[in-house]
Amino acid sequence: MGTGQDQRDASRTLSAISVVSGFALWELVGRYMGTGLFLAVPTQIAAATVELWRRGELLNHITVSFSEFGLGYVIAVLLGVPIGLLLAVSSRARATLGPWVDGLYATPVIAIAPLVILWFGIGIWSKVFVVASVVIFPMIINTEAGVRSTPQHLLEAIRCFGASRMQLFVKVMLPSALPFVFAGMRLGIGRGLIGVVVGELFGARAGLGRLIAESAETFNMANLFVGVIFLAAAGILLTALVRRIEQRIVHWT
Amino acid sequence: MTTPTAKLEFQHLTKRFGDLVALQDISATIADGEFVSIVGPSGCGKTTLLRIIAGLERATEGRALLAGREISGVGYERGFVFQSDSLLPWRTVLSNVLIGIEIREGRRPEADVQRARELIQMVGLGGFENYYPRQLSGGMRQRANLARALAINPEILLMDEPFSALDAQTREVMQSELTRIWQQGRKTVLFITHQIDEAVFLSDRVIVLARRPGRVREVVDVDLPRPRALAVKRTPGAIAYVDHIWRLIEREVIESVEEEKRR
Repeated sequence: MGTGQDQRDASRTLSAISVVSGFALWELVGRYMGTGLFLAVPTQIAAATVELWRRGELLNHITVSFSEFGLGYVIAVLLGVPIGLLLAVSSRARATLGPWVDGLYATPVIAIAPLVILWFGIGIWSKVFVVASVVIFPMIINTEAGVRSTPQHLLEAIRCFGASRMQLFVKVMLPSALPFVFAGMRLGIGRGLIGVVVGELFGARAGLGRLIAESAETFNMANLFVGVIFLAAAGILLTALVRRIEQRIVHWT
Repeated sequence: MTTPTAKLEFQHLTKRFGDLVALQDISATIADGEFVSIVGPSGCGKTTLLRIIAGLERATEGRALLAGREISGVGYERGFVFQSDSLLPWRTVLSNVLIGIEIREGRRPEADVQRARELIQMVGLGGFENYYPRQLSGGMRQRANLARALAINPEILLMDEPFSALDAQTREVMQSELTRIWQQGRKTVLFITHQIDEAVFLSDRVIVLARRPGRVREVVDVDLPRPRALAVKRTPGAIAYVDHIWRLIEREVIESVEEEKRR
């Protein structure tokens, strides 16, 4: 127990040192290599953050982007898991939906983002759609793979107790697929955040992606990096959150 | 025809997979409360026979009767202990032991939970009710598997090489534990193994199978006093049984090993 805690503390310290040194290096390079027009250093970014926060813009951007991400992500999980389950247990569903899933998975939804803006307008729903459509595929595919990878000897053992198909599904396949579902959820975070930004680049009133696009047009590098850093932080925090839920629920792995 | 005390009966059981005859005309009777082992070289159809009793496989000809009723599918009245670790990793020991009850009843009646706790106690896992399988050793997992099979109070206990994945010393301990547990409940047991000394030590009778096609070579009555301690294995009587059975299958075992080498 003691050593486990020590190890965790040690790796936490290492992560902190890594981040701090990275930022320090960034500051030095930015300051003394003279590329001020295309790069902002951490101190400038910090100042810009304070300024944007004071004006209330930052909170607005964060709220808009987070709503788009959150709604799209939840919709994708709520739809993707059942579709994945259906594909795994029904060969008819696999035959019917399979080509669509495989085809759409390979389609860069990002590329049709401008169209999505035309369909759903520049409000949040176009971005919700983009997020949902990029997150849903890892959810479907992972859930299906999870159910399919249920160990055969477990299925047979429980079947020998007289379990019905439904009981096998609920008591064996579903729990067995859970680790895969969570892996899909973790993959979905990165994809979803990219979806938010790209969606907003093509048309939005507010949001971190919009902040980035706007700042790029006006060469406001400090504001641009505020957007980037808040997105990166969101990625780290959300992944940690999902991981924590995962450890709570999938405690046996 | 069926004698009232026959728990499990094979009547001219034959199983073919295409041209391959896995089992040929197997007839045998296992009485209520009897401990019977099946031994034989690999390829003798032990596994196929067990899958037929489980209801996972249908016989091509002949039939298998359990308590006078023909076996036609999987069912609650057979308790299985498998070779590989088949506990559900997301369930605790207690919850794993209760899975059969849950499947049959659709819930967990309090009386059954109490009985499950007693069984866990009996197989020597008292205090480990809330442990997960990954926290248990191989021997402990097989104890849990045994409790799980007994929890549904089956007509017969079917054990498919349950100790084969254990190290030699743990296996010895589990053999003596199994006789102790069996002595308490006198459940009818069909035990499949390729360890001849294990079969002799545990059983009232040993059915020796021959291979290609799988058929009964001889049924050996093991006349050793009960209850048996592990030391019984080293008595001249037990050694003579092991010797006899080994000689029945020696040539075929060597054949099967040679075949595997060629593959």
